Amino acid sequence: MNKDVAEYALEYARGKGVDYAEVRAHREYQEAIVLKNGIVEAYIQSVDSGFCTRILADGGLGFASTNKWTEDETRDVVDIAYKFARSANRRNKIVFAKEEGAEVKYSVEQKVKIEDVDPESKIAQLSEVDKTLTSLGINIPARVIQCIITSTEKYVANTEGARITSFIPKIFATAMITVVEQGHPEQAARQFGCSGGWEFFDQWNIPEEISHEAKVLKRLVGEGKPLTPGKMDLICGPEVAGIAAHESCGHPMEADRILGREMSQAGRSFIYPGGPFWIGTRIGSPIVTTIDDPRIKNSYGYYEYDDEGVKARPRHLYKNGIINEFLQNRETAAKLGTRSNGSSRSVNYDREAIVRMANTYVQPGDMSEEELFEDVKHGVYMRSFTEWNIDDRRFNQRYVGREAYLVEDGELKHPVVRPTIETSTLNFWSSVDGVSRELVLNAGTCGKGDPSQGIPTFMGGPMIRLRGVYIK
Amino acid sequence: MSEALDRTEVLVKKAKSLGADEVIAKTTFGRYRQTRFSNNEVDITVAWNDYVTDVALAWKKRVVATQIRNFEDAEQRIEQLFNLAKVSKENPLYGGIASGKFSYGKPSADKEVVNVEHFDYIQAAIQAAEEEAKGRVEAGGTLLTSYEDVYLVSSEGPVGQDARSAVELSIRAFSEREASGHGVSCSPTLKGFDPSAAGRKAGEIAGLARGPRGGEEGVYDIVFDPLFVGSMLGMYAMMSSAFYVMIRMSIFVDKLGEQVASDLVTLRDVPAGYSVAHRLFDDEGVPTKENVIIDHGVLKTLLHNTSTARLFGGQTTANAGLVVPTAWNMEMDAGNTSKDNLLGEVKRGLYLTNTWYTRFQNYATGDFSTIPRDGIFLVENGEIKQSLKDIRLSDNALNLLKNVVGGSKERQHISWWEARLPSLSPYVLIKDVHITKPK
Repeated sequence: MNKDVAEYALEYARGKGVDYAEVRAHREYQEAIVLKNGIVEAYIQSVDSGFCTRILADGGLGFASTNKWTEDETRDVVDIAYKFARSANRRNKIVFAKEEGAEVKYSVEQKVKIEDVDPESKIAQLSEVDKTLTSLGINIPARVIQCIITSTEKYVANTEGARITSFIPKIFATAMITVVEQGHPEQAARQFGCSGGWEFFDQWNIPEEISHEAKVLKRLVGEGKPLTPGKMDLICGPEVAGIAAHESCGHPMEADRILGREMSQAGRSFIYPGGPFWIGTRIGSPIVTTIDDPRIKNSYGYYEYDDEGVKARPRHLYKNGIINEFLQNRETAAKLGTRSNGSSRSVNYDREAIVRMANTYVQPGDMSEEELFEDVKHGVYMRSFTEWNIDDRRFNQRYVGREAYLVEDGELKHPVVRPTIETSTLNFWSSVDGVSRELVLNAGTCGKGDPSQGIPTFMGGPMIRLRGVYIK
Repeated sequence: MSEALDRTEVLVKKAKSLGADEVIAKTTFGRYRQTRFSNNEVDITVAWNDYVTDVALAWKKRVVATQIRNFEDAEQRIEQLFNLAKVSKENPLYGGIASGKFSYGKPSADKEVVNVEHFDYIQAAIQAAEEEAKGRVEAGGTLLTSYEDVYLVSSEGPVGQDARSAVELSIRAFSEREASGHGVSCSPTLKGFDPSAAGRKAGEIAGLARGPRGGEEGVYDIVFDPLFVGSMLGMYAMMSSAFYVMIRMSIFVDKLGEQVASDLVTLRDVPAGYSVAHRLFDDEGVPTKENVIIDHGVLKTLLHNTSTARLFGGQTTANAGLVVPTAWNMEMDAGNTSKDNLLGEVKRGLYLTNTWYTRFQNYATGDFSTIPRDGIFLVENGEIKQSLKDIRLSDNALNLLKNVVGGSKERQHISWWEARLPSLSPYVLIKDVHITKPK
């Protein structure tokens, strides 16, 4: 990565009299290992580097990127972005909220540096996951274990004085299995992620975690029973609470979506100017608080400064059941008369930074897990989920249980086959009457943007209890 | 031979000189321009140029790959890649790559797509949407133009040069807060590109969708719009890849030769010149061709590269991606009737114009749900009676294939954000489809 070229690009853009310009340079080391049924399908290693410039001029935005680090190419890229901005021809001029331009360097510490772990050791550790699965005595004909590593150096510089240099290594691992019992296939997948060194791969204990999934699937086929549909209590494990927080708290609170910028792709939001829901409107019970916090150390969605050079901080999305704070970048903040809260992220130098979540979770409460269960007369404990989706207003959502059990008089009974909750965001969060103390966060990749930008996130929560919801 | 092809060949020779058994290198010079718009105004125009060489090599059945973007240290990167192969593990199922000399046709790419001004096309689409909706709409979408020069060299013989172009417009128009329609126009050349047609489609559906009320759960006969069918074809295409069958993320496991769909269903992978996915050769350098995946309901083939084909006892279908086989452009054969006749066959059912967020409970059994969006219509006695909202299609991917009872002569090219795999899709009538709703 050549900071001099980035600075040259910024000065060249400044010389054009732009309202705002930024340059973002990346150098990313990438490594991917795919293990299929114990065999290394492919081992991929790459280095990618390049930079982009984004220019605000005459109320329009232009963006251009390249992976050529020459001065000629730099001028071309800036000229193109400037031309695009000038030709936007907008009636409603885009304005950016002013933010402080910090000069900061930060990096994530690695106790075991990724580069110090040789490829053989990485393959061996992935193979260990497969060996554990094949030693269980369970028929698992499909086992796919993957590990993706990215170590990203980034430099963000803008005309407001920001100079942010960062280094963040990330590891993401997935395990997907198909168990066949009595001729019937069942599937499960798990994801693990961090910002940090190889020490996390050991901490995740993937062999044990995925073995648990295999045992659960086997038991589900043998002992699982369908649920008699009806209104009942639902206890969601942290994985289910987390996906609900991500889908129906985080996404609808993205200000670009609220203002319509994603209208043709990821959609709009049930929250919109002049609509029935806005800041101050109740959306859940008073014990529901959901937070998005990029600064959780070693989290998969970790960062200290966003891709517009704005300092990150926790955002209380729903606070005590009330819509509280949107996720903002400079553009949306100016439109809504507020400040950016550091939510602008991009997956690489060749993509525009847009409003994104980081680590979204339900704030823990004061109940023990035993207290959550003990006065459930009839209900379901949904520990994990399989199929899920939500409409493009982020209001009509569905979660199908992967590991789930009937609860009778406070006690866990037999596994339940794919119990399903299909309800509105308002009903889901208004039905919460209990929140446990222990927070668990899981890694996930959030999809948004065109071209698509799958971005690292955490999502999670404690256990939450919903009263009297319809489960089928 | 061009300089780019020379540089690609140098990398292959370097890897061979180090001892690699097989090597493929593919250099792509891509120029991409995209304009995003919403609320009837341009949000941003972005340009990205990508200069990249993908290299895959095998040494003693150890398969490794890399992407090289800095050509100054390219040979050093090949050495690193070869060293990685030496410490990687053998893949006993690896069956090699295609060998031989092939001849290819001439690229039919349109260089003019690089120079077009996006603004006028977008305005034309928005204007057409407003005219068709008979009132003001709020429209958003994207216009993407791309041009790629591709150079491929394989140590096993194939050497090829291709050029690929595309122009794709996607527009979604809202006539009311919860009433919208979506249209796309995609073509490899400007000649076949019609942004106004995309706008008219979005506007027509947005106009019809005004005043939606909540839909009801039930089992319906449903007419699916080509936009919806395009998303489903992407799903079936992925499941047709031999790789996904091998890892059981497919409904087609152990189904070759079996009836997996209604005999009205014929699905092909066709990387033809009229598709935005057109290409002369796959990533092994094998000349691409049409493959009939499902022929009148019978599963005829999976999509293969050389290695997976050997495992299944067949020939490559020229669908090699750099690592796994992939479809290029899915087509469902046209039916023998019109969209209106399909609607006419529906006594009480639905017309679904688009969908998104398709997720599976189980890829092997095919149980899944997806969320219809844009125009959702109740159809009674062949006529659209009411705009609906807030429903979900919750069914099974095999059941949908088996319950197809009609298709239209008219087909549309589909490629957009939610349906990334290009397709040529008709209107399709499917009986007994399960619909659920939130409670």
